[in-house]
This record gives sequence, structure tokens and C-alpha cells, in this order.
Amino acid sequence: MTKPWKPKITLFQCQWCLYAEADQHWVDHQLPNNIYLVKVPCTGKISPLYILNAIQGGTDGVLISGCLPEKCHFKEGNLGARRQLDEFSRFLNYIGYEEDRVRFAWLDLQDRGRIQQELARMEKDLLEMGPADKLTTRLPAWEGEDA
Amino acid sequence: MSEIQTLIRDEAVRLLEAHLVDVVVGFKAGTTPLHPQPAFVTNVQEAQNLLMDGFCQNNLATYLTRLPKEQKIGLVARGCETRAAHALVVENQHARDRLYLIGIPCQGILSWRKIEAEVGEDVLSAEETGKTVFIKTRNGNFKLNRQDFIHDTCLHCQHPDPVSPDIMLGDPSPITVPESSDQLVQGFAILKPSERYAYFSQEAERCIRCYACREACPMCYCTECFVDHTSPRWAESMISPSGTHAWHIIRAFHQTGRCVSCGACERACPMDIKMTYLTDKLNLDMRQEYGFEVGMDDASQPPFAAFSLDDKDQFVS
Amino acid sequence: MNYQIEKKDLPALLQQWMQIAQVFAPVKVENFTQFKILSNTNELVLNGPLNTRYPPKSLFLPQSEVLLKYQDRDFTTTTLDKQQRIIFGIRPCDAHAVTLLDTVFDDQDNPDPYWKTRREQTTLVGLGCNEPRETCFCTTVGSGPFDKLGLDILITSLDDVYTLEVITEKGAQLVADLPSLKDDNQQQMLEVQDRALDYLHPAFECEGIKEKLYNIFESEYWQQVSQSCLGCGVCTFLCPTCFCFDIVDETQRGERVRNWDTCMFRIYSQEASGHNPRPTRSERTRQRIMHKYAYWLDQIEQIGCTGCGRCIHYCPVGIDIREMIGNARVWREA
Repeated sequence: MTKPWKPKITLFQCQWCLYAEADQHWVDHQLPNNIYLVKVPCTGKISPLYILNAIQGGTDGVLISGCLPEKCHFKEGNLGARRQLDEFSRFLNYIGYEEDRVRFAWLDLQDRGRIQQELARMEKDLLEMGPADKLTTRLPAWEGEDA
Repeated sequence: MSEIQTLIRDEAVRLLEAHLVDVVVGFKAGTTPLHPQPAFVTNVQEAQNLLMDGFCQNNLATYLTRLPKEQKIGLVARGCETRAAHALVVENQHARDRLYLIGIPCQGILSWRKIEAEVGEDVLSAEETGKTVFIKTRNGNFKLNRQDFIHDTCLHCQHPDPVSPDIMLGDPSPITVPESSDQLVQGFAILKPSERYAYFSQEAERCIRCYACREACPMCYCTECFVDHTSPRWAESMISPSGTHAWHIIRAFHQTGRCVSCGACERACPMDIKMTYLTDKLNLDMRQEYGFEVGMDDASQPPFAAFSLDDKDQFVS
Repeated sequence: MNYQIEKKDLPALLQQWMQIAQVFAPVKVENFTQFKILSNTNELVLNGPLNTRYPPKSLFLPQSEVLLKYQDRDFTTTTLDKQQRIIFGIRPCDAHAVTLLDTVFDDQDNPDPYWKTRREQTTLVGLGCNEPRETCFCTTVGSGPFDKLGLDILITSLDDVYTLEVITEKGAQLVADLPSLKDDNQQQMLEVQDRALDYLHPAFECEGIKEKLYNIFESEYWQQVSQSCLGCGVCTFLCPTCFCFDIVDETQRGERVRNWDTCMFRIYSQEASGHNPRPTRSERTRQRIMHKYAYWLDQIEQIGCTGCGRCIHYCPVGIDIREMIGNARVWREA
């Protein structure tokens, strides 16, 4: 029996944004198989090149989670990222890549269970949108036995 | 010889004799009629070779980051070239007081591709007078309406006249500022996503990764471009959608709020690839979101070099 | 044996060939032409600009060639299909260039298997140039508008008829059923070929060029001549005789690829230590000229340029190699 398709989601998580230990533990140890974690010291580290790489590598959706503006662990890191990443998702949409596949979540200190919520919501939406069929041009080339 | 050419030569002589500049960067005649060459004039005799006509298709500001920073440079500059020069000053690529902008008006750069397509064979001579271009080929003489053969980017130029030059030669451009490219961008944006992606892929498919676009661009001056990185490997160098898409997407994105819409990239491309539709969108967004237009002064920071708590975004919170 | 065919019968001949081989011919791409596999004879463009922009060397040395695919320690190498190919409408300068590249890739001791296989499977049907362009200088460098070197068949276009001169056995096989070349057409063909030479004037003197270039190797000439050069790859990638390549492992996908490279890029000669023996555009421009007009002569006694003129036509800043060589010849230290 073939497995039903599950969307691949890449999660870029700022290492400070999950204040609740339970949430961080879930991300570190109980993350479902179809979600790929890339932890960054701050969303300010995230260059559009990372997002493009994930998309070209075949991810169906990208979720970036960071701290609320004014609550950045490094004071202004997330502000530096904000303009660029906001424009980048708009730019990808301009060339036809569905904007809804690239999402950002600002998490507040008091939030509990938000990350699981956002991921679940994204997975549900992606199931409807279907697999990404644009820009997914950097998939492994291997055609051998275990391809 | 046109009046503006005499004015340019005279100004070059004046600047060089008074040691106000070390070099005057302009154009001189090339070996073929439609391809003048950039000129680097360091003495009064060479100044007599300076030329300016509609076939001068390069953005000379690209040489500001290739000449030694200590040099005092006199730059023959049309609208887009002055804007690129100001943008480079803002990015600390050349000191404003070591830059002398010789402003000249512009009626739009002529597209040698359009002319060749029209006359169907090699051009033996080309002459511009006012609104007409006279072309002589082996088998015919053509009288072309200048406006019909202007490069696409120039058709939407919002700044044909120099911005804050050190001296303005000749009268301001007689043309009325045309409609901006915003309509084109908006027209593209409402196409179906599959159509937009198809257009993007189709244009990118012809790319041979020669990087003429990058080298012709005054704002691309990184000593190590992201495409040349091997670790991490952002863009594959092979000819395939993966690397080529990454090249076009990221080069355009690195120009956000920096591109002066001169079109030198498209003119340099040997495969006639369209790319200004990408930067036009980014420039439009910068104008709308941040009220920013590049190259209008020597101080304003491009939007991505700054941030504010009040920035808006489409993020969930 | 020489043949002829009415121009209106060419599509039928091409259809015949398309049954037995992949036929590459110039087809329209945007406002120019490029060699692609013909699926329909209507696509053929023969009266466009003489040359395709992108050189047909790509049909033997693709700009990107996957050598192997791998994962962990497993790998599979690429095998080329057994596929007969006919390149129709290649110009003599480009065919001549292919023979120059043979000296690099079809080396006696270490032939490149990809190049060799493709060469063996390909017949080159050339089309001579009745009216060479202003940027053509094939005769200056030892080729010509009806140069037969490297071709299996040479076609000359007359008013209503194409003449086909058979040059090799491979070529003979393709045209055996065609009508023989009539005497009056033969006469006309020779006249057309002769008249084509009127369009070409010597761009510079080749005699002694190598010696002169070596002479001025350390001079300031190169600084002067490279000032406007942007350092892009247009001249090298469009050049039918340039062959430098880079082999890279694209680790994210597990492919080893051979790509065209260009000595005009700074990183081409950049060493791992950070040292670069060609640090400025001066040295790199010098390298290009020396390679074509001196080192090739040292290695195979032929000039490494066939005068196709692409570099002149498409250089974004209008640099002209004829001007560069011409000025080099007369350069005197101040």
C-alpha cells in the first residue's frame, strides 16, 4: 500500500523563540518526520538564499519562527531580517511561486503550543495546495537502487 | 559633430588641464558603427576622441568600482549613470569629492539589436540627427524614426536627465518623461502563477552564465559573488534550471533598492534575456513600502540597509 | 562526386535524413538562431544572420555534461546513446574550429570518450557564406567562407539550387541519390565562392604575430587594452575554439559535472592559497590573446581563432580582437 503524500515542511527556528521548555523539547525530539528543522541563532541570520535553497531542494513549505519585534534576544536581529524576508516572499510570488508556502510566525514569550499549531495549520493548507511544482529543481540526482 | 560632443570634449580638456580629475571616463568610436567603446582619457589629446551618441549603450558608472579609489574620476553621465554614481557614493564605493559628474541629457539609448533586426544585415554607417537615425548597409539606406528603436528600458525611464551633476552640459532632454514601468509590473503580477513561472523559466533557460549582466551592472561589484561560492553552494554553475533560476532570482534580489533601471544588463546579454521585469517589481515595492528611490542623493540608505520597529510585514503573530 | 538539389526539395531531403539521424540545424530563438534538433523542417532558418550566436562546439562539448551521479559510495557513469547525428548548416569557420578542438580532445594517447563518440556519430553538412559579414575575418586566420576543413559536405547556395560538394565518405553516403551537379551550376558555384572573398579584407598580418606578442608580453600594452573589459564570459563562451572547462561535484544533488569555464573570470586562476597568478584583467586579457595567437601556434602550429567574429559582435563594450592584434603588432614602448 503506498503511503499517502505528506507535505515536506522546512522549519527555520530561531533558537530563542520557544520560551516554553515543552515546546522546545517537542521541536528537538518529537518533530514529525516530514518536518525538517534548521535552527538559527536569530532570524536575522536567515538570508533569502536559505529559503531558496530549501525550496529548490524540494520542500513544499517553509515556516520561519522568530521572536516578536522588540523581543529579539539580540535586540534588533529580527528587524534586520524582516524587510528582506517579507520582500523575498513577495518576490517569489511575483515569479509564480505560491506566497502561502513561505510563512513567518512571530512568537511571543507567553505563547504555548504555538509552533505545533502553526505547523499543523501549514500542513493542512499544504495538503490542499498539493506538492510544490515550481522551483523544485535541486532534487538528488541519484538513480541507483535506493533512489 | 554634435554640439554635446564638443561640450564634452571641452569640459574634459578643462578638467584635465586644471588637474581637477585624473581620468575622464566617457565613450569613443568603436570599430563597428553600432558599438562605441568606453574611453579612459588621461590627456588633452585623447580628449578629442570623446564621443556621445545614442549607441553608447554601457552604464559607465560600472567603472567607478574598477578604477583605483584614490583616483579623481570625471564621469560622462546620463540620468541613470548619475543615479548609479550617487548610489555607489552612498555605499562608500567612491568618495563624492573624488567624483566629478559631467551631466549630459539623454533621449534614450538606441538598441543595436532592434536596428539590426529591422535592416536585416550589417550596418556600415549610422548617424543620428534629432529624431532620425540614418543607417547605411551594403544593400540599402534606411531612415529610421529614433523613437521606434530605443531600448525597452529607456521607454520607461523616469530620470533621463542627470541627477545632481557637478556640471550640466547642453540643455535638458527635450523628451517628456514616459510612463513608468509600474504598469508592466502590475500587468505581469496579475497573470496566473503558472504563466508567470513559465515566462520566468523560459527567459532563464537561455542563460549561458556568462555574467555579462553582472559585469555590466554598476551596482554589482562584490569581489566574491554569491554564485562563486562553493561552500555553501548557493547556485550550481551548470546550465540547468536549478543554478540558473537561483542566479536570476538572487541577482535581482540583491539589487532591491539599488537597481537604477538602466537596462545595461539586458543590453549586455548575448542571449537577449529579459531581466528588468524582476528588478522593476522590486524597485516598485521599495517605492511603495518605504518611499525609497535609489540614486537621488548621496546620503539616503537603501531600505535593506536599515530597519525600523514600525516596519510592516505579512507575518503571523 | 558533386551533387545539386533544387531549393524547394531541401525539406524533403532533410525529412529523409531525419529518419536516420538527429538533424541539428539553425532554428529561430527570439531574434537570433541556434542549433537545435529539427522536429519540423519549417523551423529551419537559413537566411538569418550567418552564424548562430551560441557556437556549435556545444554539440560536441556541451556547456554542461554530467559525468557521473553518486550517493555515498555508489555511482553510475553517464553513457552516451548510440545516436547518429547530422549537423546541417554549420559554417566553415565553426567546422574548422571543431578540427582545432580535435587536437585537444581527440588526442592519440588520451582521447576524451564523450568528444570522440560524438564526433564519430556526427556528419557535418556545412553551408558556405556567400556574403561574409563586416565582423568576419576567417581568411585572415587561415579559414575562409568556403573552407572545406572539417566538413563532410559543403553546400553552396545559388539562386534556385543548392550545390553539394562531397568531401568525405561519411558525406557521400548522405547524398548518393541526389542528381549530379550540372556543369553550369558548377561554374556558378565557383564564381559565388570566389566573389565571397571580395567581402573579406585582411584584418591584420599573421606572419610573425606570435613573436611580436611574446616580445610585448611584459609591456603596458595589456593594461591599456583591458581597461574597458568587463571580465564577463561572452567572448569565451561564444567562441568556437575556446575549450576550457571546470569539473565540479554538485554535492547537494550528487552529480559530477563538466562545465565550460573562462579565463576571463578572476576565479579561473585563483588558487586555494589565495594567490592568483592572473590577478587583474590585464593579465587575463593578455592570456586570452596569447593563447589564441601564440600558444596554439607553439602547440599545433595553427592559430587558435577562425575569424567567426562573434566576440566582436557580442562584446558588451565593443572590444574588437582585430583591433587588439593590429595594435599589438605596432606597439612600441613609450
